[in-house]
Amino acid sequence: MKILTILVVDDDPVIRRLLQQRLKKENYNVLVAADGYKAQSILQEKHVDVVLTDLMMPGDIGGIEVTEIAKNINKNIEVILITAHSSVDTAVEAMKKGASDYLEKPINFDELFLRLDKIANVQTIFRSAQELQHAMDVTEHAASETIQALEMKTAELQGLLDEVENILRDHDSSEEVRITRALDKISGI
Amino acid sequence: MLKINSSELKFIAQYIYDISGIFLDESKAYLFETRLSSIAEELGCTSYQDLYTKAKKDTKKTIERQIIDAISTNETLFFRDKGPFELLQHKILPEIIDKRTSASPNLKTNIKIWSAASSTGQELYSIAIIIKELIPDLSRYNINLLGTDISDTAVSQASYGKYNKFEIERGLPQKQLQRYFTLFGDSWKIKDEIRAMVNFKKFNLMLPFSALGRFDIIFCRNVAIYFTLPDRKKLFDKIADSLTDDGFLVIGSTESLTGVCPRFVPKKHLKSIFYQKKL
Ligand SMILES: C[S@@+](CC[C@H](N)C(=O)[O-])C[C@H]1O[C@@H](n2cnc3c(N)ncnc32)[C@H](O)[C@@H]1O
Repeated sequence: MKILTILVVDDDPVIRRLLQQRLKKENYNVLVAADGYKAQSILQEKHVDVVLTDLMMPGDIGGIEVTEIAKNINKNIEVILITAHSSVDTAVEAMKKGASDYLEKPINFDELFLRLDKIANVQTIFRSAQELQHAMDVTEHAASETIQALEMKTAELQGLLDEVENILRDHDSSEEVRITRALDKISGI
Repeated sequence: MLKINSSELKFIAQYIYDISGIFLDESKAYLFETRLSSIAEELGCTSYQDLYTKAKKDTKKTIERQIIDAISTNETLFFRDKGPFELLQHKILPEIIDKRTSASPNLKTNIKIWSAASSTGQELYSIAIIIKELIPDLSRYNINLLGTDISDTAVSQASYGKYNKFEIERGLPQKQLQRYFTLFGDSWKIKDEIRAMVNFKKFNLMLPFSALGRFDIIFCRNVAIYFTLPDRKKLFDKIADSLTDDGFLVIGSTESLTGVCPRFVPKKHLKSIFYQKKL
């Protein structure tokens, strides 16, 4: 299964360290940002699968904005919000903006790992579905070129056949002339 | 999973053909089982014979609708194959608009477009987006966009215009996603300005088309492949009757009308083929 890269965004250095250590131990790649601005520049520079962000942070960029930024950069990024119990309504607001889940503080790590596992599973399936899709698209594309070329050729030959028929049925000319003209037509193929 | 036996295969295949025109190979038992077993089990049927009897007795046709939903392949995507939509943008629409406006310059220009197996709506919405971008001011035009499909759930998803990220992922460029869709949770919903341009209806292509009127452009893609050759012939004959004399037909990129309908001639523009009536 795929190893996820997780971006942790939290203004509290203690929580940041804690998350970083626990996630590393579970074999995830971890990136950290102390605020929304730092998160934004990391998202622009590096590939991230999951953003784990605090909902309430000082400054203009809170969890909702981080969600929007992440989704704008790559809509496949999953965002999990970390919220205080009192801000569940805001978390729901963030889910409308594309966050996929939220966890209440204090963080229950078993729960977090379970959700990350699910995300990894889905992304693995998603990727093999995409690969399959791509293989099918290539096949279909090749088939369509062949079919369309044949379709045009058949129509051209049909047109030629109609002309030859008209020539052969043209009773104003002698048989010999008709045959010569018909053969001329056909040899043009 | 409820198993199907060979005699059940025969009459279920016949039943599906009768209600939808969809021809299923009797040798593919797994196809019937994977698609119908959950309906059968949900209704408490002990066999497919039982399901068939219940479906026949159901005067409200709820079971029939469920069976059609389960059997039909609704696979589709935004701007599928790209080519047909470039064709629409650069050749078909400009030509039709030009003809219709020069014919009656003082009237609103009427153009009727039909997506004949619209599935969950991506094809018709792609057409609507192309039109919106080609003609920013639609007030001088009367553009009628109709999508029809035999599957109730497909028609209702199309009408609702909401797509999950897997459906969006396929084919829709980021620019158009941002411009014409609004994010709603994990899904995207088509904006009203596009939604208001289209109409979706349930319709079975095996029936006569007389009630639908005449169209300038028909997209009939990736549906005839499920029909028998005689039914395909009838279908494209009816399509020829429903198309204006200078109208355009677009079929699936791996489909062909050779040996199906001599009333159409294929024409090539850039890398795509379209069909017009032989006059
Ligand atoms: C594979 S989808 C094609 C969608 C779209 N035209 C495209 O090319 O992407 C085929 C659709 O045909 C519909 N269909 C099958 N039989 C039909 C019938 N008899 N009348 C109308 N629609 C039918 C199915 O419900 C399904 O949604």
